[in-house]
Amino acid sequence: MSAYEEAVLEMKNIDSLLSQGYDIAHVYENLSGMFVELKKDEERENVQLLTADARKYLSIKLREQAADN
Amino acid sequence: MADLRINLAGIESPNPFWLASAPPTNTGYQVQRAFEAGWGGAVWKTLGDPILNVSSRFAAVNFNGQRVAGFNNIELITDRPLEVNLQEIYETKKRFPNHTIIASLMVEPRQEKWHEIVKRVEDVGVDGLELNFGCPHGMAERGMGSASGQVPELVEKQTFWVKEVAKTPVIVKLTPNITDITVTAEAAVAGGADAISMINTINSLAGVDLDSWNTVPNVAGKGAHGGYCGPAVKPIALNMVAECARSPHINVPISGIGGISNWRDAAEFMLMGSSCVQICTAAMHHGFGIVEDMIDGLSNYLDEKGLASVMDLVGRSVQRYSSWGDLDLNYKVVAQINNDVCINCNKCHIACEDTSHQCIDLYTESGRPMLKVREDDCVGCNLCSIVCPVDGAITMVEKKGLSPMTWNERQALMGQYASTTILK
Repeated sequence: MSAYEEAVLEMKNIDSLLSQGYDIAHVYENLSGMFVELKKDEERENVQLLTADARKYLSIKLREQAADN
Repeated sequence: MADLRINLAGIESPNPFWLASAPPTNTGYQVQRAFEAGWGGAVWKTLGDPILNVSSRFAAVNFNGQRVAGFNNIELITDRPLEVNLQEIYETKKRFPNHTIIASLMVEPRQEKWHEIVKRVEDVGVDGLELNFGCPHGMAERGMGSASGQVPELVEKQTFWVKEVAKTPVIVKLTPNITDITVTAEAAVAGGADAISMINTINSLAGVDLDSWNTVPNVAGKGAHGGYCGPAVKPIALNMVAECARSPHINVPISGIGGISNWRDAAEFMLMGSSCVQICTAAMHHGFGIVEDMIDGLSNYLDEKGLASVMDLVGRSVQRYSSWGDLDLNYKVVAQINNDVCINCNKCHIACEDTSHQCIDLYTESGRPMLKVREDDCVGCNLCSIVCPVDGAITMVEKKGLSPMTWNERQALMGQYASTTILK
């Protein structure tokens, strides 16, 4: 799988969770990439983003969410 | 025709092309010939206590057929008595009153030494002073040149001593042999400098002879580090000029030096904040006559750009030079290959496959070998277009990406959502 295809899969996963009503609650970055905690009411989903493009994408989504709030 | 006259901290010159303090400005004979050729100014070879030089002083680095891509020297400051130099400066200024003569100075870091030389040099009518805090070889071993130019406190103190007595503008010439040149530039400003110039030469060893195992150059079988200059150092010099030009703490004009070989280089330095440029290696390589093309080229360029004065060019690109953290992470360019122009040397494919992001595919169409960029995987590194030997075969084109966001903006946003615990 190409780097782009890997990124697309990760971005789709984020999009899917956001479309289900999840909000990004917390982010944490370390040597292994970015860990994202998403919340919908009491439900929580944790996602690890490995690709650079997906991490950029998540940043944009975070800005959109911050603007909406 | 555009006005090429410049003003650097009150120092006026008929054009921005000055000879740098170096072998080309060693004598009145040379400087007068340079002015006849069209040079606007000259920074006289550094004055100080006359030194002794060694024989075998220069070396060049040739690269892929280009002679003097870089130039290395171990020559020191003037070896002639101050009186001889001053007499020739006086005569030269008398003959060329509208041309600029700057006296480059270097003495021990003692107040009385600076006071003495400044007074004596200004008496003969120089237009300004340039303090040589940059020469990296020989003199540095004696505590002068770059040895004092690497210590911000000494830069500030010596500049201050000079300013105590100087009546003409004081330019401080900075060494590049330091991690952050803005630190010493700020020290010069704190000491009262009217302008700064950069860069002096970079510590270097031009090479080692593989037969004799001697250094290049060598003096009776021994070598010592020299100062590197010429086209190879231009990007280093240009960055240092730009870093000083964009610093809010450095509010004095800049004279740019370092690998400037033609009018285009000069224009780049001026766009990045230089009010004038100083040139040495190109003159040593090709003679004083090169200034004619420089004047013509710059003049035509200014006319094409609709600029009435060369001073209108100064600093126009500074705002476009930024910190990495302020660059847009989401800006995207990708390579596109024009197979009608491509000669199928495959250098782009090899470069991308071996050393970049493996996004140039080889394929065959109607029996003809072709290359295609997988744009989704292309990161826009430019490597393929850099190694391509054919103009127009590879073009970097902009693509619509995510909305703009810089690293600094991203990190500020991330901080608001940062987790204090590791998420799994």
